[in-house]
Amino acid sequence: MIEATFPLLGVAFVALVVLPAFALLAKVGLVMLERDEVGGPLHGLNLRYVLLSGSSVLPIAWLLSAGLHQAESGTSAHACLFDHETSELCLEPGFFSLVLAVFVVASSFGTMWRHRAARASSSDAAHALLRRLDRIASNDPVLASLRGRIVVTDDHGFALGTHGLLRPRVFVGTAFAGRVSDEMLASALGHEAQHVRALDPLRYLILRVALGVNPVGRALLEPHFARWQAAREAHCDREAVILGAAPLPLADAIVIAARPGAREPVALGARDTAVLKFRIGMLLAFSEQAPTRCCHQGLSTFPVAMVLLLVALLLPHHTGTAVLDLLHTSTERALTYFWR
Amino acid sequence: MDVVWGKNLTSFAVGDVLAILERQRDIAYTTVMTTVTRLYEKGILERERDGKRYLYSPKLTREEFLLSTAREVLDEAVGGHQAMAMLAEKVSEASAGELDDLEALIQKRREELA
Repeated sequence: MIEATFPLLGVAFVALVVLPAFALLAKVGLVMLERDEVGGPLHGLNLRYVLLSGSSVLPIAWLLSAGLHQAESGTSAHACLFDHETSELCLEPGFFSLVLAVFVVASSFGTMWRHRAARASSSDAAHALLRRLDRIASNDPVLASLRGRIVVTDDHGFALGTHGLLRPRVFVGTAFAGRVSDEMLASALGHEAQHVRALDPLRYLILRVALGVNPVGRALLEPHFARWQAAREAHCDREAVILGAAPLPLADAIVIAARPGAREPVALGARDTAVLKFRIGMLLAFSEQAPTRCCHQGLSTFPVAMVLLLVALLLPHHTGTAVLDLLHTSTERALTYFWR
Repeated sequence: MDVVWGKNLTSFAVGDVLAILERQRDIAYTTVMTTVTRLYEKGILERERDGKRYLYSPKLTREEFLLSTAREVLDEAVGGHQAMAMLAEKVSEASAGELDDLEALIQKRREELA
């Protein structure tokens, strides 16, 4: 048995069996959470986020840590002794962790590429828009927090979005801004301010990467991700209105932002207006009756996610790595069986 | 229900809705009565007898109604492909008509509120 067997076959087993199994468990949890009769998909956003991303991130973190732990401490020797008839220090689990890390990085590359920021512009139109945005932000205490965090772009087809992982910035397209009134722009910035406050670009990226490394499980979780993202956007609309954004101008801005420009390629399908209709419906309701905070969101996402990640990383050091040994011996035995 | 919520009708007879709708288009009393009865049967309206007629009232606000249907509506959600937070995902050109309808709906609400 060559030493590359376990690192390569083990990672394939993780991608094709372990992660989809965790995705299935997460799906069961998500279905139960979304089953609430009234506003189900709007409840428990934070817990659903942890389930969606944790189903990939936590097993991978545990396996990476376990592999490194075995390589470092030599506790992998008995698995190697069994299969290779040698008691020398065995680095296979370390290589397994390395191949797993390479797999994660390679799988995430496409997502990272799509996450690149729009280009900031310095044209006259961009400067004029920046002055306009500065004036709008200075008249509103909520938007004041965005001063210095607004970037203008001439990128074709870009409307309005928040980008940046640890210090998010709001990108405003000049073409979009030219089609909306100050009131619409202020309300839309109020929506983006919620994304900035909650570090949503970081959340979205982690979630996209988590689904990207789990191609089989992604098919199970993609509908839940779509619902989570739709609910998150609706939540930001609600928070923006509660903090003073005008609902109808925000609804107008959303519809204008959704309209594709001439010759602009759009990948979404025929059902892509379902979320828009829901969000606009909610904003119309808010124009009749001011919204109050709704739907219990669960514990704050980042502290919970960090604690779980820390536990997954530390667990192999305290409770042993027998599961990794099982994975190690099983994959090599399976290969021996099929090779015969 | 759009008329009921938009005009903030808390207690109304079929004739009240008819009077509002007649200002917008030709519509028969029986059409409105059938629709109102169906909304009552679906549990969206409640009613009490007032002499020979029924007085209806909405059981839910527009927001409560939307929340109660959120699950089925968002079942149709398709995920965006951007790993960033956008104000709205661009929709396909095929949906341009639906965007026009949404714009008209917002404009109508603006006029009602004015």
